[in-house]
Amino acid sequence: MPRNELRTLNLPIAEELGRRAGIRPRVRPEECASYAIAGKVPKLVFSPRTLSEASKTIQTLTAEGASVIVRGAGTKQFQPPSPVDVDVVLDATRCSGVIDYVPADLTVTVFAGTTFVELAEVLRAQQQFFAADPPFASDATIGGILSGRSSGALRQQYGTPRDNVLGMRVCLSDGSIAFTGSKVVKSVAGYDIAKLFVGARGTLGFIGEVTLKVAPLPAEQRGVVATFSSANQACGAVAQMSSHALFPMATTMHDAASTRHIRALGHVGDGDWTLVVRCGGSRAGAGTLADAVSKVCMQSGARSTLLLDHDRILFGWSDIAELAGGAIYAADRFLNCAIACLPSEVPAVCAMGQTHGGNAEVSAHPHAGIVFMHIDATRHDDLIGALHLVAAEAEANGWSIAYLRAPLPLGAKLRQPVPPSSPIFLMRRVKAALDPTGTFDPGRFLGGI
Amino acid sequence: MNDAIFERLAAIVGRDHATIQPGNLSNYQYDGSADHALPEAVVSPGSAQEVAALVALCNEYDCPYLARGAGTGLSGGAIPESGGVVLSMARLCQILEIDPVNRLAVVEPGVVNANISSAVKHLGLQFVPDPSSQGVCTIGGNVAENSGGLHCLAYGVTSHHVLGCEVVTPQGDIVWLGGKTADAPGYDLLGVFIGSEGTLGIATKIVVKLTPVRQSSRTLLAVYDAIDDASRTVSDIIAGGIIPAALEMMDQLSTATIEAFVHAGFPTDAGAVLIVEVEGLPESAAESAEAVRGICTRNGAREVREARDAAERERIWLGRKSAFGAMGRLSKSYYVADGVIPRTKLPQVLAQVAQIGARYGLRIANVFHAGDGNLHPLIAFDDRKPGDYERTVAAAADILRACVEAGGSISGEHGIGIEKRDCMTLQYGAADLALMAKLKSAFNPRGLCNPAKMFPTSRRCGESSRIHASGKLSADVERSIGPAF
Repeated sequence: MPRNELRTLNLPIAEELGRRAGIRPRVRPEECASYAIAGKVPKLVFSPRTLSEASKTIQTLTAEGASVIVRGAGTKQFQPPSPVDVDVVLDATRCSGVIDYVPADLTVTVFAGTTFVELAEVLRAQQQFFAADPPFASDATIGGILSGRSSGALRQQYGTPRDNVLGMRVCLSDGSIAFTGSKVVKSVAGYDIAKLFVGARGTLGFIGEVTLKVAPLPAEQRGVVATFSSANQACGAVAQMSSHALFPMATTMHDAASTRHIRALGHVGDGDWTLVVRCGGSRAGAGTLADAVSKVCMQSGARSTLLLDHDRILFGWSDIAELAGGAIYAADRFLNCAIACLPSEVPAVCAMGQTHGGNAEVSAHPHAGIVFMHIDATRHDDLIGALHLVAAEAEANGWSIAYLRAPLPLGAKLRQPVPPSSPIFLMRRVKAALDPTGTFDPGRFLGGI
Repeated sequence: MNDAIFERLAAIVGRDHATIQPGNLSNYQYDGSADHALPEAVVSPGSAQEVAALVALCNEYDCPYLARGAGTGLSGGAIPESGGVVLSMARLCQILEIDPVNRLAVVEPGVVNANISSAVKHLGLQFVPDPSSQGVCTIGGNVAENSGGLHCLAYGVTSHHVLGCEVVTPQGDIVWLGGKTADAPGYDLLGVFIGSEGTLGIATKIVVKLTPVRQSSRTLLAVYDAIDDASRTVSDIIAGGIIPAALEMMDQLSTATIEAFVHAGFPTDAGAVLIVEVEGLPESAAESAEAVRGICTRNGAREVREARDAAERERIWLGRKSAFGAMGRLSKSYYVADGVIPRTKLPQVLAQVAQIGARYGLRIANVFHAGDGNLHPLIAFDDRKPGDYERTVAAAADILRACVEAGGSISGEHGIGIEKRDCMTLQYGAADLALMAKLKSAFNPRGLCNPAKMFPTSRRCGESSRIHASGKLSADVERSIGPAF
């Protein structure tokens, strides 16, 4: 079936496809509506329950020339560019559950449709966790978190989720099921192709199973909240923590507007910038670290510092994690973007955000050099013009921009900026080698891949 | 190699940096593995542009090539099995930039691993990956092999400490994978490049992360009568929520041999010894050390000794790092196996390793990264005894089979190269290998860049792959692997 015919699918054709794939697709618009991608309702939705079902489905759809979008919980569906049309959605949420978990090995294997929350519950029972704090944590699936390369400030101590993926079982567009990596904490046998699938946004294949490295939950956690009069001072404190060899779990900074979303902080005081530092360790160790961090903040010019106990920093972090990816902002109004720079450039990028973003709220992971801008598109006079200015300044300084989420009309117009040094031609070859039929969401990845 | 090609190679790098003299070539036929094969020419480029020009020339003449660092690799990755050109990275050995504020350094691939940490020590920083060969091995080789080390349990391996690489692709393009900043947009090509054993291109600049040296470090030596007790201790430490910076194990044959070699203070009569290092703020490190001591004692350690000062700590680590060298006292030759198992399977697999040694009549010493479950059985053999090497290779293959059957991997840090390519089928099926081949074809479609490494040939795992003469794979092997491999 040529690609364009799929757009006029009728019920008998869908049933024939379903018969060949071994599972019945959803086909009625009212059934498919809840699987929409940025408002575009798919014509068919397949919900495989096993990797083998997924394989047959993908093989069938590839043979028919369909384009397939893999969808987890749909939490990142508003990441630009929005699709022009959606043929088939492969719903990944039915392939879920923990396959194997050995706490003493610090490894867990799950179906990729397992939600972050579901996994966290299983791990918490053994005083362990998947050391990531991605946005949309209450709904997101592990596969979606990895495909979208979601991460949070916990990357400071634990790396990003990419660093904690040990192996994967994936299904390619020809239906072949391949395992890559291993199920142990260390392996260099063959190419580490799992890393390619992290951040590929489902454009290389379907992630079926994932083996993750997990970490012990610190016995105790503490928070340090420090207010500063400038982003420069706040970043200075972060640099001083490194100089003193203090290793907190995570550090975030927020302008006055974004600080207000962190309910655990209440009214923290008089700073234009707030630094929140999450410290973990043994019962004594977390407190010692928090005290040392607090001292460094004061020495770096903090106007005030506040210590948060275990429960309060965790409550605070539930908002902080959501803030970074833009999850806390209204999807129909806000443009959320992330700008990667050197840690020393964070103040300059924050200033740029406040200059060009108009009413933008700005937060950052200063240790990693990531600044988040949250712009109310409905209150910005010339947002497209401002984004051009931001892109030009970013390009001149070697910073990279990722649009995380955009309101619908804007999302259809935005393309992810391609840094001039980006090896797009090599990425195209990788896409062509792994998905030669262009089955998986063609055209929406970086550079139109 | 015909003169015309050599003249053109020499024109790119300068005549002083190119050779086809047999005496010179013979220095490049080995790495740290048992295999060897002569290249047809060796060139030492002085810039990325020269590397790109050499790669373009090799493409023009359909000539295989590979990059070589210090040649310390243990799996044959730098052996020019198909002949062709070896690009020695020895001239690309500068630390180009140190940025303490952003905790990164830009280095050339020929920089020796330990020299990075030495160069930033005064800033309170270090480059964490510390393979035992760190005094010699180069960062380019570390990137190719995704090297680990003694302290990667807590801090990760090379891929966790590299932000970006300037790479000459097998098509001769110069590109950046990643860079100085995090989260480069698009596919994580850097992630697959690291550990690709030189088959996806040649790194010409590397941006490494620098990590502050911890305030306090405590090193404990726990002595056991029974190796199983030591194994259980490893699992209990991790299960207890403690991730030490390093957690190493040595069995009796290892400690006795090392002690005779470097006098590190290891007991020679113990069934096993654990080295546990914990780091952090002074209070936290002390607390962790106390907790580790308790776990060791509860698991039957007859003695738990803590290094009293930096000198004693260094002596302990010198002992551990000298393990491979010390094996020379045990036998004429030794073979380092490298496999990974889930750490909870340590007692079971160590027992299997002992049985395998007995079955083949070979002495096997175990000195390894216990915290990662990364085994390094050292198999002693006599190269002059006919059949001894072949038995050793077969025993090593049985050890790898045991690792895979336990749910592990055939390599934790030494790579696949020539040595283990025929064992890849133990761990991976046809579809898995086909996926790897697809990726390779995207980067290296003509297969000229470090050919025939990593992918299985028609030999079986455990058949000796030693190549005694320069030249190409046998015709049947070549036919079976095809150009993409």
